[in-house]
Amino acid sequence: MARLELQHVCKGYDRPILDRLSLTVEEGEFFVIVGPSGIGKTTLLRCIAGLEVVDAGRVIFGGRDVTRVPPYRRNAAMTFESYALYPHMTVFENIASPLRARRMDEASVRKAVLEVARLLRIEQLLDRRPHEVSGGQKQRTALGRTLVAKPDVYLLDEPISHLDAKIRHELRRQFHTLQELRRVATVYVTHDYAEALSLGDRIGVMGDGGLVQVGSSREIFERPNSIFVARHLGQPSINEVPCRLSRDGGALTLRSLEGSLSFAMNGSQRTILEKVRGDVLVGIRPQHIHVANGGSTSQIDNARVEAFEALGATGVLIAETGGVSLTVLTSPEENFEPGQPVRLGFDVEQFLYFDAVHGRNLRA
Amino acid sequence: MSQSNYRLIKTLLLIFLGIWLVFTLFPLYFMIITSLKPVEEINRMIPTFWPHTLKLSNYAGIFADPGSLKSLADSVIVSVANTALSLLLGTLAGYALARWIRGAAGENLAFWILSNRMFPPVAVIIPMFFLFDSMPWGTDSYFSLIVLYLVFNLPLATWLMMVFFRDAPRELEEAAYLDGFTPLRAFFRVTLPLVFPGMISVAMLCWIFAWNEYLFANLLTGTTVKTFPVHIPTFTLGSQSLWNLIMAFSLVAMLPPVILFVILRRYMVRGLSLGVVKG
Amino acid sequence: MTAATSDAATAPAVAPDWFAQKRRRGNLIVNPLVPWVMVGLPVAVLVAIVVYPTIWMAYHAFQDTNMMSLFSGNWTFVGWQNFATALTDDRFLGSVRHLVRYLLFGACLQVLLGVALALILYECIKNNTVRVTLLILLVLPMMLPPSIVGVLWKFLLQADNGGFNHLLINLQLLPANQRIDWLGTRLSLWSITLVDVWQWTALPLLIVYSGRVSLPPAIYEAARVDGASSWLVLRRITLPMLKEVIAIAFIIRFMDAYKFVDHVSVMTQGGPSESSELPVYIAFQKGIREFQVGEAAAQAWLIFAVAAVLITLFLKYMKRVLKAQAIA
Repeated sequence: MARLELQHVCKGYDRPILDRLSLTVEEGEFFVIVGPSGIGKTTLLRCIAGLEVVDAGRVIFGGRDVTRVPPYRRNAAMTFESYALYPHMTVFENIASPLRARRMDEASVRKAVLEVARLLRIEQLLDRRPHEVSGGQKQRTALGRTLVAKPDVYLLDEPISHLDAKIRHELRRQFHTLQELRRVATVYVTHDYAEALSLGDRIGVMGDGGLVQVGSSREIFERPNSIFVARHLGQPSINEVPCRLSRDGGALTLRSLEGSLSFAMNGSQRTILEKVRGDVLVGIRPQHIHVANGGSTSQIDNARVEAFEALGATGVLIAETGGVSLTVLTSPEENFEPGQPVRLGFDVEQFLYFDAVHGRNLRA
Repeated sequence: MSQSNYRLIKTLLLIFLGIWLVFTLFPLYFMIITSLKPVEEINRMIPTFWPHTLKLSNYAGIFADPGSLKSLADSVIVSVANTALSLLLGTLAGYALARWIRGAAGENLAFWILSNRMFPPVAVIIPMFFLFDSMPWGTDSYFSLIVLYLVFNLPLATWLMMVFFRDAPRELEEAAYLDGFTPLRAFFRVTLPLVFPGMISVAMLCWIFAWNEYLFANLLTGTTVKTFPVHIPTFTLGSQSLWNLIMAFSLVAMLPPVILFVILRRYMVRGLSLGVVKG
Repeated sequence: MTAATSDAATAPAVAPDWFAQKRRRGNLIVNPLVPWVMVGLPVAVLVAIVVYPTIWMAYHAFQDTNMMSLFSGNWTFVGWQNFATALTDDRFLGSVRHLVRYLLFGACLQVLLGVALALILYECIKNNTVRVTLLILLVLPMMLPPSIVGVLWKFLLQADNGGFNHLLINLQLLPANQRIDWLGTRLSLWSITLVDVWQWTALPLLIVYSGRVSLPPAIYEAARVDGASSWLVLRRITLPMLKEVIAIAFIIRFMDAYKFVDHVSVMTQGGPSESSELPVYIAFQKGIREFQVGEAAAQAWLIFAVAAVLITLFLKYMKRVLKAQAIA
């Protein structure tokens, strides 16, 4: 059983970074941790690896408590964000390094290294030095070093962040297909939410002090438990409109605090917001607004175009209405001029509602 | 600035450089020719700038004289042993200071170690003279010089190695730990190859100092141990200094540092400038 | 009023317990004792060979120790007497005057020359092989044993048939029948200074040259594109960026020069008639030849104290200047 468990792990330097963080990654699971830079993702990985000692809590590999075990006896393998390849050794020796540590015999080492190199398609680079290969090849060498070790847990720290888009795409594909990563638990860290959504069996969104939400990519995207999570997943970012509830007679309406946007709340929406006191932060994803041609109930007639970008597969329109700027996803073939009047239609069923003070999802 | 003005100034500057170069090289040139002259030619009232007769036997004489050979050997023993010791201790302390002893304690300790270099050797020698005199090994021993040269070389070696270790990326060692190497194995496999050029710089600087040192050697030793700086003034015939022999021997003794410098100058420059820049 | 934009799902207003009680937990990699042992060895050595003498000297500076009392063990406490003697001793004070002149025309001149030569070498000579060869030649004197350099110059500076005088004659800088008495009473100190400059200008030269080499070329290209003249580039770019390096070269020379007695020992032995004595040399003589250990200790401490104060002041000043520069 190769499950990874973290129990109430605490770690801080001049301020707390990980506050009673608990996590279980099952054997074979590919767990992705996503979050803004500096939040503590790398610290978390380093605690799992043993490069940092936790201030409190336990780290358990497949039932073995390794909290006090030094990194060279933990049998974890990690790819560093900077690759950390040994500059004075060839690619072959870099990959072979964990096997050398175990004093494996030469023949077995050759066999294992060649196997991994072929898998990652770098077998022609084995005699080169790290400074003689490209970024993507360096990354694959680092990955090879991790794979060959056959550890109890895989730790990948932003392995493809510093590569250009095309190579990133290709390597992402490789992560999908690498069977070896399915043998034990894998923890993958990234700041790129698209990577996270694409690769992870489960995703953990990391906020101040710990994991703010853990779930499948679908769950996290469609039911973020806070505005923090909603904000970090989605490109372009979710539209945030602070609103106040007004009840005139029997009608429940959301009115924006700035400007003059308003939405009538009916049916299921009403049920959610009935009991709410205080203000509501409404989250509207750009794909839930569209340029309307008339006829639907939830629409605004008096919007104006602020800016428009055609971005290949989609178009991003920024429209201003009643003092509020909204980002809208459109088809890239549109032709909007700044100042042009436009009608917007809203998919109110898809709105997300968050508590204005704490940012919690009111639907939960 | 006009072209011709610019060229004029440049020429003047180069002339200045040239004058300094001549000033620098003249004594060495004179040294070489003196070493090739016979005694009579040296004692003439008006010295010659080109030897009238060449007497290469001056050099042969050096290698025939057991005293001279011994002094060279003694210098080798003392300088090499001290360099090895400085490097060993300096590497140990430098690594610990660079990796593990952080914060105020570490900074203060490192600074204190370096500050020892400020000390006038005079202040060290007087007590150590009396101390070693009362010890079984006495002042006139290899041990006393090898140990006392550490006063200068150990702070330098420690400081420079600490700087070099700080420059070596920690992450590489961490990668080695995760590969399964213990800190000791990781040090030899990853860290040491990275700082090796630095170690050469340090070794060179320490060795040159130990090789050239005169004060301590002159004071403490002279019979059992006689390094070449102490031996040279003994080339006298009555009250007359035998300049030709002195020059010849000096040139021979000067060769090792010069040759080392020419071959390994890149390391020396790096060592000096890094120690200076980060110091 | 805007909605809460706190990025924390739970933002602890108070530091959690475990953090407040946090002790330094070190690391898992080595036994915490190991680094201290690694440092401890060299420190122990240094304590033995430096701290012990320092304390010894500090102690005996206040005693009337001389050779007899040193071996018999009875010396008496005399308070500040040794220091007073030193500060009122004409000979010692004379040597201090010599030292000031020596440092001013020695160390300072060396740094100025070193900077000038380094920059000339770098800017005016473009062929790399020539440049490197010249650098090696110019830096050569630094590699030589100072005692040998002293002997060499003693030979060259002989009044009657010394090579230096005759070189000057051959260059028409000196009339053929005159001889300059370099090692006589009047000029002995200047000769020592001359030799010091000859041997040690190489050090600032090398340091400043290395510093210049490591300056980023991008700035110079930008300046060239802007059309700045060479003089302007020198004044506004090169020299300010090299300030730190030059200051360090100066400190190193200063630190080495004030305690340097090899040349004096070999060439003049402080003479003739004390005309080239330096404070450290006097202390040295007093302690080792005359065995007036107490007085020697006081002198050594005086010298060291003044030098330490000057160096610390200079370092503090430098830190301030550099901090301002770093911010700018």
